[in-house]
Amino acid sequence: MTGRHHWIVRVTHWVNAIALTLMVGSGLRIFNAYPAFARKGEGFCCYPFEHKAIPDALTFGGWLGGARHWHFAMMWVLVLNGLVYLTFIYLHGEWRDLVPRRGDPRDALAMIKFYLFVTKTHPHQGKHNAMQKATYFTLPILAIVQVLTGLAIWKPVQLGWITAVFGGYVWARYWHFMTMVLLVVLSFAHIFMVFAVDPYSLQSMVTGGYREDLSPEARNARPLYHLLPRWRHRAAEEK
Amino acid sequence: MDRRRFLSAGGFSLTAAFLAACSVDRSPRAQRLLDLAEHRNEGVERLLFHHTTMDGAKSGAKIAGPAYPSYFISNTVPVWDEKVRGPWALEVSGQVSNPVKLTIDDLRRLPFRSQRVDHFCVEGWNAVAVWQGVRLSDIARVVGVKPDAAYVDFQSFDDGYHESWDMDSAMHPQTLIAFALDGHLLGMAHGAPARVHSPVKLGYKNTKYLTKIVFLPTRNGGYWSDQGYEWYGGT
Repeated sequence: MTGRHHWIVRVTHWVNAIALTLMVGSGLRIFNAYPAFARKGEGFCCYPFEHKAIPDALTFGGWLGGARHWHFAMMWVLVLNGLVYLTFIYLHGEWRDLVPRRGDPRDALAMIKFYLFVTKTHPHQGKHNAMQKATYFTLPILAIVQVLTGLAIWKPVQLGWITAVFGGYVWARYWHFMTMVLLVVLSFAHIFMVFAVDPYSLQSMVTGGYREDLSPEARNARPLYHLLPRWRHRAAEEK
Repeated sequence: MDRRRFLSAGGFSLTAAFLAACSVDRSPRAQRLLDLAEHRNEGVERLLFHHTTMDGAKSGAKIAGPAYPSYFISNTVPVWDEKVRGPWALEVSGQVSNPVKLTIDDLRRLPFRSQRVDHFCVEGWNAVAVWQGVRLSDIARVVGVKPDAAYVDFQSFDDGYHESWDMDSAMHPQTLIAFALDGHLLGMAHGAPARVHSPVKLGYKNTKYLTKIVFLPTRNGGYWSDQGYEWYGGT
């Protein structure tokens, strides 16, 4: 068992998971009050589902006013939690595991080839593979964009200069929505890959400990392949 | 534990977790937390507020015109019936040295301005319109607002609809007592004969069908604020 995630990373991860879920749910409830982007008297080019509401079951907060209160409360949890996380990984050095490196595209391609059965053995990887790195590097950037687009539509007059950066109120609302969609897609991809490739990493995000002998590389694991620990021997033989 | 018991137990705990998540938004503890957040947010919003920050509707944006939504809380469009209520006048009172009653002619004789601005609805839509009206800050100068006035209540003849504001937002140069929209006198659907309009507050704060502007030492809630929307409702 090796130590993988510092307790600050683990706590901020789960706080973030809860806050993000509530932000998306309440945000969709707010969106449903006017599920469109067009300014009154205009059309909107770039959203195929104008005026189509999100199913209530995916929303949180009960009604527009309630959802707004949740959204405006949870945003502070998200922002403060994010600041703690980013400050920590900067000071403690974990950022080095996440920043893009020159070899990353090549490594990502090698992973894709392995996942598509073009190559037989799992490429050598450190803490994360290249696609994971890209994901974990992108998510905080999207979160920052999301905070900025959020400010742009919360305070379109007093922080109008931010609104202007995103192309005005209508577009800021659109980017706030689309960034949410990207965050949700990447989060679901992340959750799927945890269960499909490296379920043992769940432990490392709870207790901090990680068994390297059960890593995807040690199991030669593709999504939904070689999930069980018994594969580790064969993987070792293949090396 | 056999598989069936395991699955039903799992299903039960999942349902329980789901129900807990659904009812958390109505628990009193959550409500206290949300109230605290609203209070703190108001502090942040007041800190961000500047009289020198103006709204300017995007240059390419279309005037909403007939697409401009309108609403009222009465069962039918509120109309001031002169035969029953006498001539309409706007009472400006409360913590002021010279309370006045402005007839519509008085109001139109005051220096007015025209502004093309956004209207931001709490629902998320916005609409661009040209408003003509008198700056509330100009009216405040006329009546001599006393220093202990920290809030303004805008009251209407729309079935008791009112919303109170912080003084700072009320004195913003773009906060108008408007009597014309897109170059025409206000229509009945848009709050005739006069209404509040300001891009610095969400739509519901902008009382239509005005009757009274009351300067107050304490806040006085509002129609939608009392039903759970943010009292501050600033943009």
